[in-house]
Amino acid sequence: MEDKDRERVVVEVTHRVMETYGRDPRTVEQALFDTLYEERLRLKTEKDSEEVKSLSKYYGSVRSQAMKADASGQRELLGDLTKHFTEEVSGHFDRHVYSLATRIMPTVITATLNTLSPLKLIQGLPRGFDTLQDQLILQGEIEALRDLADRGTVVLVATHQSHLDSIMLGWALFKLGLPPFTYGAGMNLFSSKILGYFMHNLGAYKVDRRKKAELYKDVLKAYAGCTIELGYHNMFFPGGTRTRSGAVEQKLKMGLLGMGLDAYIHNLRAKKEKPDVFIVPCTINYELVLEAETLIDDYLKEVGKSRYIITDDEFSKPQVVLDFVRKLFSLNSPIHLTISRPLDVFGNMVDEDGNSIDQRGRVIDRRRYVYRNGRPSFDSQRDKEYTVELASAIADAFHRDTVIKATNLVSSSVYSCLRQQNPDVDLYKLLRAGGSADSIPLTDAYKRIDLTLRSLRRLSDLGKIRMDRTVGRADTVLMMGEALAHFQSFHQHPAIVRHGDRLYHVDRNLIYYYRNRLTGFGMKEVEVGP
Amino acid sequence: MSAARELDAVVVGGGSFGTTLAALLAENKKRVKIWTRRSEQAKEINKAHANSRYLPGFKLPASLKATADMESAVRAAPIVIVAIPSKSFREVANKVGEFIRGDQVLVHATKGLEVETYKRMSEILREETCSLKVGVISGPNLAVEVMNGYPAGAVIASHYSEVIESVQRLFAGSRMRMYGGRDVTGTELGGAFKNIIALATGVSDGMGFGDNSKALLMTRGLNEMVRYGVALGGNILTFGGLAGIGDLMATCASPLSRNYRVGLGLAAGEKLEAVIESLGQVAEGVPTTAAVHDQATKMGISGDLPIVEEVHAVLYEGRGTLQALKNLMNIPVGDELSALRGGD
Repeated sequence: MEDKDRERVVVEVTHRVMETYGRDPRTVEQALFDTLYEERLRLKTEKDSEEVKSLSKYYGSVRSQAMKADASGQRELLGDLTKHFTEEVSGHFDRHVYSLATRIMPTVITATLNTLSPLKLIQGLPRGFDTLQDQLILQGEIEALRDLADRGTVVLVATHQSHLDSIMLGWALFKLGLPPFTYGAGMNLFSSKILGYFMHNLGAYKVDRRKKAELYKDVLKAYAGCTIELGYHNMFFPGGTRTRSGAVEQKLKMGLLGMGLDAYIHNLRAKKEKPDVFIVPCTINYELVLEAETLIDDYLKEVGKSRYIITDDEFSKPQVVLDFVRKLFSLNSPIHLTISRPLDVFGNMVDEDGNSIDQRGRVIDRRRYVYRNGRPSFDSQRDKEYTVELASAIADAFHRDTVIKATNLVSSSVYSCLRQQNPDVDLYKLLRAGGSADSIPLTDAYKRIDLTLRSLRRLSDLGKIRMDRTVGRADTVLMMGEALAHFQSFHQHPAIVRHGDRLYHVDRNLIYYYRNRLTGFGMKEVEVGP
Repeated sequence: MSAARELDAVVVGGGSFGTTLAALLAENKKRVKIWTRRSEQAKEINKAHANSRYLPGFKLPASLKATADMESAVRAAPIVIVAIPSKSFREVANKVGEFIRGDQVLVHATKGLEVETYKRMSEILREETCSLKVGVISGPNLAVEVMNGYPAGAVIASHYSEVIESVQRLFAGSRMRMYGGRDVTGTELGGAFKNIIALATGVSDGMGFGDNSKALLMTRGLNEMVRYGVALGGNILTFGGLAGIGDLMATCASPLSRNYRVGLGLAAGEKLEAVIESLGQVAEGVPTTAAVHDQATKMGISGDLPIVEEVHAVLYEGRGTLQALKNLMNIPVGDELSALRGGD
């Protein structure tokens, strides 16, 4: 972000957040003390450092002032805290990398990249960056994304399976010649050198997920909104975190999603030349997911209450990441990054000219949705519902553009057989103990694959899902081979191993994880049992 | 952009209920226009202040205007109310979609489902227009009674407060008490479903059974409405409101109800085609029975809807009405309120 914008954003975000707390002294007082309480509680759990010491001192002084202050004094203090958070969030934006990435010719960038140490890791790949280029299949509405980035502000919303997603997205945007997208990334991601580098290239700012105070979350939301308004393309994962179960995200975070609409209305009110905000869904699909074991473990440990921050997963070990990427590439395993049809902030499709269109293909004057009594207006209840519409359109796009891989299909077939063999065993027991037999006949698995393929093909013909090349070819033997080779290659224990004419379910958690990608599409061959 | 419009509301559809709503609003000093498919009908409303085909014998307010021009009608008001039989609903909605804009409020007052797709009317409005601010008006509103000037009540259900509030403002001070609701799905399904039960109570009355029998059919019918409605995402409480039990009470016991009259005719041994012919108007319960039956079969819940199944057999499979009622009496009895408890 440019300096002039940074200052504006800090002022604007602080102002807006304070607006939401209003003038009611009780609301202000509550917010003030809640924030201090949450922050002081957090600091107690942090490792001792200079930063922690100085923060403690700061919060302590705010607190003692707050105790003595009257209503207007407390409001001022809340304003200070808001500004403090805002500056912290916006301050982490690395201008140097941003301008490097935007201004310098791509070739120069490549040359620069190659001199940086994290890149040595990537050079360790068989053919360095070329490999990444070959393996990452960028498909879908690429031209539309490029065009719309010119016509207005783009908010790219992606499915999220792995921390590698950020690398893939950063690389894809770079290849498309697009400027970096503003992106709020968890602190832990910056601790990895490779990822940290790409994060910056993606225009990332640091989000401290340990901060639980509502005020901090409000600041983050307002920050995203303001950057969109200023024309900075944004990127985020609307699922909020990496999918734990492996299923495609369908429950999306409304707060952040709504900031596109918020920015659009602000832009209309300010009569901006390019007021439009476009939402572009995007899916990323891998044959193997680096963090699969940790993620599914977390999911099964506490369904619905997964840890929001995992700091000790596979991604925190660079050598593991490199090993993973190498293996993925040596198996000639493409990663699909699919850009979906763009949407407006109300969930309508957007055509190649940037027009919103209704379901019958007619052009919509989208400004009208927010007009009331002749001018663009906010209406929080209405806008929340509009965002529900948008979320539902994004969820549909996520399904439509999910690319099913051999590992998903083979896992699904083995899981279905397991379920059939053990109809009365509950999920946890089945995954832990494996049921009545340690293996299933290969022919049963083949039969299952054929059945599921039929459903898949029907869905794919209707445009409701995608299949990768191996799956699309419907050669079950080839598919099985590919899936088994992948399972063998990276995870600590292969999910499935073949001996003779039987398939042994070795890591059933992984089988469940990879199979979950196929759930939610209404395929009865998949949705068996709990 | 959306400057003041010349009207307060437009009603799309010149059938009995559309005309009734428009007349009610006109009488309530609202500037309202009605769109009719046939220009002769519009002319009759404008010149003779009457709708002789659908509301014979009633005088309409002189301030109520009609037109057959969709564009001028839809563009003229901030609120558009569609009251078109389910059979032609999609086609008309598509025409509305040519002209309606996102700042307008679009609601409907049609109690039925699309037979081929089982879709609710608000879903069709979403598909055929750009409108997001949609809603449904439903409740015990027999057109003739409203035209007679009797007090009545209805529900406007929408996800959008703006829709609820603007429709409530529109009807404020009229003889129609307009309650607000959020459960669009439940409100629409209740209104559509009760017509099936009205067919059944018509049969029961036609066969000379008494009030006990009718009450039995209505309460068990409500039970089926709940099972079906909740399975499709409706809120159980909605069915205890005007769009559920309220509408059921009015429709199932009134000789003014078309669906009830179809039941009476069938009990008298008349053929379905003949009964519908003599009615001269659409009885929504007939196609709705087909839609609900097919949908419930696909969902695997048809066993939970015995009344629907019997009405379907009478309408479409040639089963005698006596046999159908006998079948219902022979269903094993279980816990009465299992469906309402959410168990079962």
